[in-house]
Formats: sequence, structure tokens, C-alpha cells
Amino acid sequence: MAQAQPIPVAEPEPLLRMRGITRRFAGVIALQDVDFDLRAGEVHAVCGENGAGKSTLMKILSGQLAPDDGSVELRGHPVHFMSCREAERAGIAMIHQELNLVPHLSVAENILLAREPHRLGFIDRRQLRESARRHLDRLKVDIDPAAIVRTLSVAHRQMVEIAKALSLQADVLIMDEPTSSLTEAETARLFEVIADLRRSGVGVAYISHRLDELEKVVDRVTVLRDGRRVATSAWSDTSIDRIVEQMVGRSLTEKFPPATREVTTDVLLRVSGLTRRGAFDDVTFDVRRGEILGFAGLMGAGRTEVARAVFGADPKDAGETRLNGELIRIDLPRDAIRQGIAYLSEDRKAHGVAVHMRVDANITMANMRAISNRFGFIRFPQEEAVAREYIELLGIRTPSARQLVRLLSGGNQQKVVIAKWLFKEARVLFFDEPTRGIDVGARFAIYELLDRLAAKGIGIVVISSDLPEILGIADRIAVFHRGRIAGEVRAATTTQEEVMRLASGFGSQNRAELVQ
Amino acid sequence: MTDYQRELFQKFAALASLIALTGAFSLVSDAFFSLGNGITVALQVTSIAYLGIGATCVIITGGIDLSVGAILALSGVIAAMATKAGVAVPIAMLLGVATGLACGLVNGACVTLLRLPPFIATLGMMLVARGVALQITDAKAIGGLGDSFAELGNGSLARVVRLDAQGFPDVVFPGLPYPVLLMVLLAVAVSLLLNRTTLGRHLYAIGSNSEAARLSGVDVRGVTVFAYVLSGGLAGMTGCVLMSRLVTAQPSEGLMYELDAIAAAVIGGTSLSGGAGSISGTMIGAFVIGILRNGLNMAGVSAFIQQILIGVVILLTVWIDQMRHRR
Repeated sequence: MAQAQPIPVAEPEPLLRMRGITRRFAGVIALQDVDFDLRAGEVHAVCGENGAGKSTLMKILSGQLAPDDGSVELRGHPVHFMSCREAERAGIAMIHQELNLVPHLSVAENILLAREPHRLGFIDRRQLRESARRHLDRLKVDIDPAAIVRTLSVAHRQMVEIAKALSLQADVLIMDEPTSSLTEAETARLFEVIADLRRSGVGVAYISHRLDELEKVVDRVTVLRDGRRVATSAWSDTSIDRIVEQMVGRSLTEKFPPATREVTTDVLLRVSGLTRRGAFDDVTFDVRRGEILGFAGLMGAGRTEVARAVFGADPKDAGETRLNGELIRIDLPRDAIRQGIAYLSEDRKAHGVAVHMRVDANITMANMRAISNRFGFIRFPQEEAVAREYIELLGIRTPSARQLVRLLSGGNQQKVVIAKWLFKEARVLFFDEPTRGIDVGARFAIYELLDRLAAKGIGIVVISSDLPEILGIADRIAVFHRGRIAGEVRAATTTQEEVMRLASGFGSQNRAELVQ
Repeated sequence: MTDYQRELFQKFAALASLIALTGAFSLVSDAFFSLGNGITVALQVTSIAYLGIGATCVIITGGIDLSVGAILALSGVIAAMATKAGVAVPIAMLLGVATGLACGLVNGACVTLLRLPPFIATLGMMLVARGVALQITDAKAIGGLGDSFAELGNGSLARVVRLDAQGFPDVVFPGLPYPVLLMVLLAVAVSLLLNRTTLGRHLYAIGSNSEAARLSGVDVRGVTVFAYVLSGGLAGMTGCVLMSRLVTAQPSEGLMYELDAIAAAVIGGTSLSGGAGSISGTMIGAFVIGILRNGLNMAGVSAFIQQILIGVVILLTVWIDQMRHRR
């Protein structure tokens, strides 16, 4: 392993200095001897694969965790935060990756939670709203401060979370994957705000899996791998390839594996005229054997809704589904599963895995009949053998089949869900954002797996908001715009620009909507 | 510590406190640690245990059943009324259990079809069942049920009685009372159901992540209804056994038993947020409560103080459980 070079003695006294930070969880090292510093007015990115220790480092910085060893200095004074509140009072605020808002309260109440303005002992509602409005205006987002958070989209909730962090007027702002659910336009606005903060002397620690967006905001990069600091360098002295190499510990020449599948023309699944009023309208598409079909489009264009309706997870008003030419009726997920159609949710934790259950129980969950006798008694040796087989086949990194799923990394959890459907012998698989929140190294493995599944004759549909990803792995791409398929393109001959144009309603078929 | 070890630790902690309680009471009272008192405790625990087993299954799915105390009363009263009307005792008792199953079915339907929160659905059932039991009996106890009605609650397996010189019966071996036998059989059966069968696995899956279970093709509605029907049926059975033991059917019997059942499950490590729990834990929980009551009684502690102590025990165990999870 390359020895990390010492951090060059910072010319200006850093705002924040962390030295020799070490943290163990139940004996397992999460961080070892990590140094990190942040100057006033700089954006310092922390990169690393899942499990490299980024989040642990940031949790220590924001007072959520205490280090086992090492020191944190703020403006030259050693600090020991016992809680987030203490860190916030000292001027360190964090924007959380998992949204930490209270869903039943309003936007304004969330932004100023526990810091509500008072008048005569009562909450001053007008001032509450006005001051929330000011923080939102800074982000130039049109969100009503009186709106209840539960009713907002994920992207808007993320913006509220950011507004909340800004309202603390912190000197140190930690952003953990702030753009993962934002649209392009919202991301651009966020970057303007970051530039603004930087000018006013705030230090920003920035975590993101989307390396391509770093160049727009970042001054310096620290790369972590397996809990150690591998390198810290100025953005101008490094490159994305270099960072990825440092993250993974080897060079990744190719982002996408070569395709081994052979695309055929037999139609496995044909969905036609699928409609649900208010969500999607007259959606028709084919999934062919050996092919990966991509669903591209902006957030809320109806891609997930269509997949869920085909799978029977949500209702539909009209439309028919044919599997191998035969008309099938799907009202419930159970019907779809019986026919061999599976859906892998974009929200793994909420819909994909039972995180408090074991790996083996999750793998067999959709096909319990295959591992139990006719009285419904589970044959444990067989279940274990099945779990072992798929753990090996998919390369799931887990100490044993008995491990609880919540203790696995995101990529491995995703593999557990895939294993569940492979064991069910699914014939058509819908993957909704299969690589969201998964690090670069594990992504490649998922792409390879998709190709292998398609090569085995399984029909694959991939929903992805990541354009290069969908162009890299799909054979054909159906582009959604406002609940309709705005166009279908071949991945080999199209460009990102063409897909983007279709997705934003500038395709040939959507002239009418241009006016709106 | 792995989760498996934690689970063991939790169980061991509950078991250790059970043993500690037994030890402490044995020191205080000579009569406590005897075969006769052991059987008495086991008999006293049966009601909490039956209900606790049902409560465990419901709580594992992430639900709660507050209606079991009232269902118990209604079922017992119906079994007694049927007996009075001339129905053979076994059939009358089956009618009682069927009443419980039907109440459970309604609970399950309210939770799955009407999508009522389990707390509300079973709270409604608690009031309705208790009301019906009081109405049909005019709030009066039904007595004079006869020996065959008393057999289930008072009989024993392998009881050896010898007549002494004066012709008085002398109990050589008290035998295994039917209610205790039933408790053991039930605990084993439901434990197997939870740990070894598809249905049991599905109960845990629903409590752990009901949406993931649904998307995996688990019949979430059916399995949830099953949990409530099981709980209702066990409550019906508890009613029959209890009223048989008392040889009287009381429409006001079983008040607050639902809370004892939930307490037994919680002391035994069942998580109120669903997805975790075991029958062995619940049995330990039921015995902790039973032994506390029995031992304190023998030590002459007042019923009020007993209530205070049991409350404190529940708080302590759940607090220890939380501590364990926080780490």
C-alpha cells in the first residue's frame, strides 16, 4: 500500500484540524490514524468506497461519535464534542445523507427545530416563517415554509435539510451526499450556494459518490481506503482517474464490463397501453431475451411507477402484460413473482431487504417453498446450502450466511436482493437504480452481474438517473417524459444529449409540451 | 458481540433473574421451594403463558392485541352457557374457543382490510367483547357447572391418590395438571411454528419490513390475520381453562390480563417494534411475573406493593434491553 504523504504544513492556520483519529466498532477498525484538516473558505472532499470510513470520520467531526484516539482542534483549541448540539454550538453543522427531518412538522418548524423564535414564552409563528423563508430563498427554491415535510418530494426535503444546516450559520459545514436525490438544476443551485459559502469563509467538508461533480466545487481531496488516509491533494494536482485508483487500490481502466450477452429478438415481456391516471399514460415496451432495456428520464417521469405497476405493487387503470406471448394477469406482487417477474426497489432499506433478518432468510424469502417440506417446515441444511451457493455465486462479502443484513455494505445488500430473485428463478428483473449509494468498485461488479444475467436469457430492465451508466450498460433505452415514453433509442448510436433532450420534453413527439 | 450472542445474553439475563428470584424466595420461605408450590406457580402462570404466546406472535408482526382479556371472558361465558343449555362439555368448550377465533378474525380483518391501527382495532374489540359478555350474562356469574366442566382446569395427568387408614384421600403424587400440560404442548408447538416453518418466518419478515415482505410475495394480509386469529383462539382457550378451574364463569374475569401477556412477552425480549421475539423468552417472562406474585404472596407482601414491584421489573428489563440495543 502506498504510504500516505504527510499533509503539507498548511500555510494559513486551518479552521479545523483532526489528528490521528482512530475509531473501532466492536473491535473492527473503522478509522486508523486519520488526519484531516479544513481551512476557512475551502471545500475539502472526502472520497472513498463504502466502508472506507468517510461517514465515521464525519460523525466524529459533528459530535455524533467520539474517537477512541486522536484529537480534534477547532481554531487551534482542542475540542471534545459529546453530542451534535455541542458541535453545532461550536459552529459545526452537518447535512445528513439519510434525511433527518420530522415528517409531520412544517418546513419552517423543521428548519428551526429546537431553535424556535419565542415571544412571551410562545413560539413566534410569523418570525418562524419569515426566518425559514430567508434560508430557503438563499437556495432559490420555491418551497412553502408552511408545507408539511411529509408531503414534499425527496429532492425538496433534501433542500430543506440544506436550508436547516445553513440556518445554523456554521463555520464548518459537513455535506454527506447532498446531491444524491437532487435534479441537475437543484444541484447547480446548491453549487452556487457552496461557492457563496466559500467566499464568506466557511469551510465545507464534502462527501459524494459522484466524482464527476467534484470538479465544480472542490479545492482539495482526501482519499480514504479501509479506514486509512491514502492521500490528500489539491484538486489541481490530481484527476478523477487517480482518485478512483487511490480509492480502489488498483486502476480501473474500464468503467463498464464488456458485454458477453447476445441480444435476440424474442420478446420475453410485452407491456402495452399501461396507464394510471395522473402517473403514466399509454406506456408500451418490449423486453427481449438477452437484452438490457434501460428506462431513462428525470425524477418523477413515471419510470418507477411503471415498473411497480407491472410488478403489481401499485394499481393500474388500463394496459396488458404478456409473458412469452401469453396474456397474464397481475394484481399483486405475488402474481408477478409466480410468473417470474421481479422488481428490485430503488429504496433497498425500505422495500428491498429485511435488514434485521439474516442473509440466508433474506435470500430465501421469495421462495420459501423450495426449501421447506410440504407441511411448511423449513429444511435448514438446504436453506444454508442455498445461501452459501448464492453468497459464492454473487461474491457477497459477509462473514457468514447467518449475518444480519444491516451489517453488510450497500453493495452487498443489493447483491442479497439480487440473490433472492435469482433463487426464485426470475425470468424478468426490473432493477430500480441498482447502483444508488454503491461505491465504484462494487458498481462494476453489479454491471458484470447484470450482463451475466442477461446472457443467461433473463430479461433485464434497468431504471437509472445516471446517464453515463444507462448508456454504458443498456442495449436499448426507453426515455420517459411526464409519464409517457418520449422515445426509444439504441445505446450504441445515441448520445447523452439526445437522451437528455427526450427526457426534458424536447423530443420530436412532445412539441406540444414545449409551450408549457 | 454478535447479535446471536446478544440474543443469548438477553435470554440468559432473563433466565438469571428468574433463578435469582427463585433463590431469594426459597431463602425467605421454606414452603416456596416445594413440588406442591411449584405446581401451584405453574398453574397460576398458565393464563399469562397462553395469552403471552399469542401476544408474542402478534407483536412479532409489529402489532398488538389488547382484546385478549375480554375475549377470554366472552369465550368462557359462552362455553359455560352452552354447558348449562345441555351441550356436551367438550363441544361447549370448542364453542368457546371458536368464539375466540372469530373475535381474532374480526381483529385481523380490521387491521388488514380496514387498515385500522392494531391498537385501535383491538381496543374496540376489547370493549365490544367485554360488553357482550356482561350483556348476555346480565353481569352475573354462572355457577353450578358440574364436575365434567371442572375436569379440564382441575384434573391432572398421572395423579396418584391413596386412601389412608381413616378413608381420607392422601395425594402421593400430584401429577401434571392438564392446564400445565397444555401450556408445555402449546409452547413447544408455537415455538416450532415460529422457528421452523415458512409461516413463522413470514411473521418475522412482516414485522421486520412489511413492504419488503410484500414485494417478496409474502401474503402479508393472510399472515397478519393468522397472528390475530391465533391470539384470539388462545384467549378463547384461556377462558375455557380458567373458568373450568374456578368452576364458575365470570363475565368480569380476565381484566387487564392483556397487559400481563404483553409484559411477559416484553420481559422475554420481544420487541414492540416487531421482527424480534421468542416463545422461550415469553415463557421466562411469564414465570418471572408468576413467581414474583407467588413469592411475594407467601412473604406476606400486599397486593399493592406487588403491583409496584412488577411495574418496576418491567421498566428495568425493557431498559436493559434498550441499553443492549444502543451499544
